[in-house]
Formats: sequence, C-alpha cells, structure tokens
Amino acid sequence: MALVEIDDLHVSFSQYEGLVQAVRGVSFSLEPGESLGIVGESGSGKSVTCSALLRLLREPPAKITANTLHLGGHDMLAARPREISAVRGRVAAMVFQDPMTSLDPVFTIGHQIAETITAHRPVSKDEALQRAVALLKRVEIKNAEAVVRYYPHQLSGGMLQRVMIAMALSCEPQVLIADEPTTALDVTIQAQILQLIKDIQIETGMGLIMITHDLGVIAETVDRVVVLYGGKVMETGPVEQIFEAPLHPYTRALLNSIPGQTAGKQRLVEIPGASPNPAHPPAGCPFHPRCPMAIAECHRVTPPLEEKRDGRLAACIRVEPAMVAA
Amino acid sequence: MTGFILRRVVSMLVTFIVVSIVIFLMMHSIPGGPFDGYEMPLPDNIKAKLMAQLGLDKPLWEQYLRYMWGVVRLDFGVPYQSPGETVMGLIAHAWLPSLTLGGLGILVGAPGLTIPVFIISTGLILVFAVWLHWTPASGWGEPKRWILPIMAYAAVPLATYARYARSTMLDVLNKPFVSVLRAKGLSERKIIFQHVLRNASIPMVTIFPAMFVGIATGSIFVEAMFRVPGLGAYFVSSIDKRDYPLEMALMLMISAMYSLSYLVADILYAVLNPRIRVEGGER
Amino acid sequence: MTTPALELRQITKRFGDMAAVDRVDLVVPRNSVVALVGESGSGKTTTGLLALRLLGSTSGQVLLEGEDITHLSQTKLKPYRRRMQVVFQDSYASLDPMMTLGEIVGEPLGIHGIGSRAERREQSQAWLEKVGLDGSYANRYPHELSGGQRQRVSVARALILGASILVADEPTSALDVSVKAQIVNLLQGLQADMGLSMLFISHDLSVVRSLADEVVVMLRGRVVERAPTDRIFANAQHPYTKALLDAVPTINPRARRRRTFLSRDEIAARTPRFHPSELDAVPLIDTAEPQLVALAGDHFVEAIVAERSVP
Repeated sequence: MALVEIDDLHVSFSQYEGLVQAVRGVSFSLEPGESLGIVGESGSGKSVTCSALLRLLREPPAKITANTLHLGGHDMLAARPREISAVRGRVAAMVFQDPMTSLDPVFTIGHQIAETITAHRPVSKDEALQRAVALLKRVEIKNAEAVVRYYPHQLSGGMLQRVMIAMALSCEPQVLIADEPTTALDVTIQAQILQLIKDIQIETGMGLIMITHDLGVIAETVDRVVVLYGGKVMETGPVEQIFEAPLHPYTRALLNSIPGQTAGKQRLVEIPGASPNPAHPPAGCPFHPRCPMAIAECHRVTPPLEEKRDGRLAACIRVEPAMVAA
Repeated sequence: MTGFILRRVVSMLVTFIVVSIVIFLMMHSIPGGPFDGYEMPLPDNIKAKLMAQLGLDKPLWEQYLRYMWGVVRLDFGVPYQSPGETVMGLIAHAWLPSLTLGGLGILVGAPGLTIPVFIISTGLILVFAVWLHWTPASGWGEPKRWILPIMAYAAVPLATYARYARSTMLDVLNKPFVSVLRAKGLSERKIIFQHVLRNASIPMVTIFPAMFVGIATGSIFVEAMFRVPGLGAYFVSSIDKRDYPLEMALMLMISAMYSLSYLVADILYAVLNPRIRVEGGER
Repeated sequence: MTTPALELRQITKRFGDMAAVDRVDLVVPRNSVVALVGESGSGKTTTGLLALRLLGSTSGQVLLEGEDITHLSQTKLKPYRRRMQVVFQDSYASLDPMMTLGEIVGEPLGIHGIGSRAERREQSQAWLEKVGLDGSYANRYPHELSGGQRQRVSVARALILGASILVADEPTSALDVSVKAQIVNLLQGLQADMGLSMLFISHDLSVVRSLADEVVVMLRGRVVERAPTDRIFANAQHPYTKALLDAVPTINPRARRRRTFLSRDEIAARTPRFHPSELDAVPLIDTAEPQLVALAGDHFVEAIVAERSVP
C-alpha cells in the first residue's frame, strides 16, 4: 500500500482580495522507501500541497478537497484532530525551510526534541532526553550532551537544521517531508545537510519527499520527480529521464535556464514573463503565457495529466503519447 | 546576572536623584508659597516667621539638601495642609484605598478603552445606585461601597491590557515555530499553554510597570466621583496648596515606584527570555 | 593601464577585536564584472558596503576612478554617489511602498537636482522600459509587481544617474530559478551597453560563471583566491575554493556522488604551499605567514611561500 496517496487535491484560500487557488488538482503517490522530489517555483503550490497533507493549514481560510488524501493508511480528510495529531510527527515528520525561526526561542533544544517523543510514546522525560542526545549524535553534532542544554539562538543555521532533522527522526516516522531544507543555508552546509538526509533515508528505509525549487538538489537526492507549476502537475517521472529527456516545455525551459553549466561569459536562456498569480490563474494550461510551444488550444483546454511514455506522465497537449506496447 | 542587577540599581539611583532635583526646581518655580492663598491671609511678619520656621527662607539648594537628607532617613516632613500628621502618615492611610481600588480594579472587566472614565463612573452611579439601589453611590467605608469605584476604575487598565494581550498572543500564534509544533503532533492545548503563553508573556511584562504605577497611585476622577479617601486628590491639592513636603514625597514615591517596577520587569524579562540571559553566538 | 573603476587597498573593518574584513585588496577594472564570492561570515557584504562608503573602514583606502574617497564626509561624498550605485538582495525592502515606480526611479535625479520635473518623468519612464517594463508601469506601486520585476526597478533606479560602478549584493538570491536568468541577462546587457563596471557579490558560483570576468573568493574576511572566471572553475588552488566548487550540486542524476566535507577550521589549516620557483612574481614580503601570491595567468592565491633555501 502506498505510503502517501494524493488524488485530485485542491487547496484554496479565501482572502480579502478574493479566492486564491494554490493547488488545482494535484495527484501523486509515494511508496515506502521511495524518495520523491517536488519541484516548483513560487506560486506552484508545492509547499501548500504537503502542508495540506498534514492538515497544517488553518481551515478556514484554507479549503482542502480531494478524492484521496491518504498518509500511512490514514484518511487525512476524514480524520479527527486527535488522529491528525497522532499522525503528525509519528507517521510523517516535516523539516522546514528556515531553521532559525523553526524552534521556540524560550526552550532548550533537548526539551523540544524530548517533547516530540513524549507526545507520541509513553516514555519518561529523562528517557526522552537521552534519546535526544543519541539523535543529535546521529545527525553529526559534536558535543551533543552540551547542545541539548543550549537554546536555539546559540546555534548556527546549519547546526539548527541538523537539530530539526534529529527532531523529525525522533519518533521514527515512515516518511520525512523536507520543505526547502537547505535554501536558507550556505552552499557548503547545504551539501552536507542533503547528504545527511540522503544517508538517513537509506539507512532507515523511510520515504522522503523533498520539496525544492533547486534542480540541483533534485538531481542529487531523489529517485522520482513531480514538477508543479501554477498549482498543477506538469510532469512526473524517474529523475534521470526528467533531466535527460524532459517531456514538458516547462521542465525543458527550467533545465535550460540553470546557470553555470558551461564555461565562459554568456547570455543565459530565459523564460520570459513571471509565474502565474494564484489569485488569477490563467485559463487552460498554466504555463501557456510563457511557453514557446503554445498554440491557441492551450488557452482553451486544460491539458490532462496522462501517460505519454512508460511510467511518465505529462500535462501538455503538444506532447504526443508514445508508449511501448505491453 | 548580579552585575546586571547592580548596574540597573545604580542607574536607578542616579535617575532618582536627577528626578528629585528637577521636581524640586519645578515645584519651587511656581510663584507663590503655602501661605499666600486667600484661605490663610496672614500679616507679613507672622508669615515671615512661619516661613523661617519651615526653612523656606533659606536658599533653594540648601532646602533641597535638607529635604533629601530627611528622605534618606525616611523622614518626609510634615504636610502643610495637615500639620497634625507626618507626610509618611498621610500617604500611608491615603494610599490603601487607592491601591485597593486599583488592584481590585484590574480583576474586573469593562469596555474601558472607548468610554471616558468619568462617564463610566457617572453611568455606574446612575444605574446601580440610583435606579437599582443595589449599591451605595459613594464613600469607602465598607467593601460594598467599593464595587462601583472598582468597576469604573477597572475599565481602562483592563481593556488596555486585554487588547495588548490579544495582539501579543496573535503575534506568537503566527510565528513559524508554532506551525512546527503542530507538525510535531503536539496537542493544541500544550502548544498554547506551554509555548505560546510563555512567549507572549515576555512583551506583556514590559507594559506592567507603567500600568502598575498608574493604578497604585490612584485615579483622581474616580476617587473624586465616589469620594474615596485615596491619594488621588492629594496630587493636585499639594501642588495647589504649595504643600512642598507632601508634593515632594508624592513625586519621589512615583519616581521610585517606576524605577523599581521597571527593574522588576527587566529582571522578569531576563528570567523569561533566554536570549537576554544566555550569550548567543555561533557554535 | 587605465585607472580602475573601483579599487580597495588593504581595506579593513574591525568590530571590537574581530576583523570582518581583513586587509583586502580588490580592483574592479573599467568595463568589467568582478564577482565577490563567499558564504556567511566571509565579509563579502561588508566589503561591498565599505566600497560604497556606506560603512566607514577601520583602515585602508577606497578609490573611485582613481580618486581617494576614503575619508570624505557624507556631504562631500554626494557628487561621487552619482558614480557608484547599489542593488540589494531584498527587492521588497528596497523600494518605498508608498511611492509609485516612476517616483522611485526618478528620485535620484531629484536628489541631485537634475532636469525639470517633466524631464525627470520622461527619464524614469525611459529607464523603466530599458529594464524591460512597460512605460505605463510608472504609475504602479511596488506591491503590484513580482520579485523579478521589482529587482528590475531597483536596477533602473541605480543606473539612471549614469553610474560608472554598480555594486550588486546578491541581486538574484531571492528570485525564482526561471527569473534569475532574466535579471542576470539584464545586468549583462546593461553592463555591455553602458560600459559599466560591476562588483557582483554572490554565494552562487553558478550564476557568477556566466557573468563575471574575474572571481574573488573570500573566507573569514580575507581574500583566499582571485583569478579570471574560467581559471577558477578549471584550476582552483585554494582548498576553500575547491570546497565551494565541490558543494555545487551536479545537474546530472547519474553523476551523483558522495562528498567528504572539511570544516572551515580544517580548510584554514590546509593553506597551500608554493616554492618561489612556482610563482609568477616574487612576493614583496618575506614571511612564513600566509599571503596572497601570484601564479601564472593573473591567478592569486593565499598561500605560504616555502623556504627559499630548502633541502
């Protein structure tokens, strides 16, 4: 049974200015032990999708609907608050983008890791603290015994992100959801944190969802990719194929615009225009205003996400299906 | 931590001295003296004798030093308007009603921000004393007389406090770490009572000193409306009557109370907020 | 050799006993782009502020087109400000939310008393178009724009006075991937058109590669390596530069690899050593301390010069 099963997820927010449609029909799944990357830029809905999965959005103003929203066998739409709290941290744990603001400034590191454990397991505070020290060691923090007594403001961003990872692992979740975990960090620290996450994922066999806008992070860390744009899925597939033979014009344009791939001063390949505003999404295909292959039809029709190659889905009417007959 | 407190105490003393000089000078800069009012018309030679007796003929700096010397020994002199007792004595018995009024006032609620306190007072007297005959209209003797003045007085501080508390709580609730707490699976109850409250109380501590001092020293309006024998009235009368000893003592008292409560607030702040009490830095 | 657009000589900034910028030499030649690269704590942003005289230095000199502006008061600096401008990372915080785009872009002209009101309005509109926004945007407000568009406005405002040097401090770091390329291209185009000199501060080596002529790498307030862009990428000598390059993710899933990491202290302990014969020029100071030495091809590295009389 899939660890995560999302089918036709819609998330909208009723704001003062009107309805903001952050997620407009997103579907994907995650098998146990699998690592999945969700790629998207601002306004793509990538973070909202996973926040909705854990019901972390304030509802209202958020409105979540889906055919299926399953996590570790739990129906997250039907679940009551108690079940939702039990799932969070234990079935799925999240690591967020900015470690400097992710911890309560008035409690020690040890306390905050320990309270995660005691929230889900019947262990004493002392046992939980001991486990916290062990976890800090697992994330390669030296002098873990001292660090448990530190306050968040005493640690650097890289160290704090390790703490966040330790905290996420504390109840041995089945899936780790990392939302831009390295964006706020220095590039050398970024590489270390990614490698740490990857090592832990392989060691524990847990599932991993990596949310990012950075294609380099995707290339280094995940097996499968989901590309989001304007609240919809543009393309999915195995990571090698996404990079070597992208199907969707957006994926292709994104790959082409990555700077620094070749030597010498040069003009970079641009994608003209800007990401769609979730309050006013374009009709039809969300990418068509910026797409080099757009035709009139793209404005009228919302392309369905369908299988165009074996195991690869894309939402584009300009991509012909070509599959090997079974 | 001790160094921190010591430094604050020293600066408190310096402030106290500076404030006392400023008040003393301002007090004496108002023309006229205690015996110039029409209430007590006196022939000049008797007036001169009285002034000399009270030391009012000496140069200002000498008067100041004499008074402060008394202050250090907790001798605040004798109020001109009530020579039968000492300033200390007068404050002692007038303060209690003000303090009770203010303290109990905080515990009661009312829409104090929008309606001026003298209107609330009048309204309360009208409704509860005149129409309903539920409470006496004024006076202070028995506790039942305390009800109306407390309700009137509670209005403003409570409303201010509640408003501030609400916005602080909201601020904290919107912080990223609260989402993380939810994502960890903590119950909403635990999140609010353990984490949010603790964080929200830090800024709340900063508004306490001013509120506390205002409350403890009495509201002139409310005390006047309900005939509460508190300190409020004396603040005005001591200036009006040039009752220097009482005036100085009251001002010094307020100044000391502000300093002390800010010191307490600073200490509380350091206790509640580890960022103040523990050195930060990269590890 | 023509006078460089900007030169920093032994510029130092101390905060207490900590040197945020430690005896840095930096030259931005005319009509060229120099990238200043480093991570947090490297001192690169502080260096940029020192160059712009937005921060006073503890010691050292700042020369703008050959003129020493190190000790000029803020009032005396005003005419020089026309020639040096800045674009910052946070486009949202850089623009006054109460002003229209036209007012924002035209403001520098007003400050320096250039042109009549009508002329200023014309110029700001022209510049909005130069940075790729429609002239009608002059009446819009910052909050109506996307991050990339706001950054274009910052660029227009910076260049409207006809600066000779632009300091860009992480101008693309807060932007989406698809928009980064737009801003980089915009800066590149304007630089070529105007003969502008640029000091491009960034932690992103990939962005730097396509834009810069020379790369200067900073670590803990010191310059550890400096070379033409292609040499840095092909033949980095300092372990920190190598670590930075190594940390960049590979855009090829099949070329995924495990990395070993050194802490900053370990890196600092591996200062490269060169024998005098390997150097392009004999260092002026005879010392065992690490110093910037010259290798072939305009390539400078902080290294220790091994003993001359070595067995």
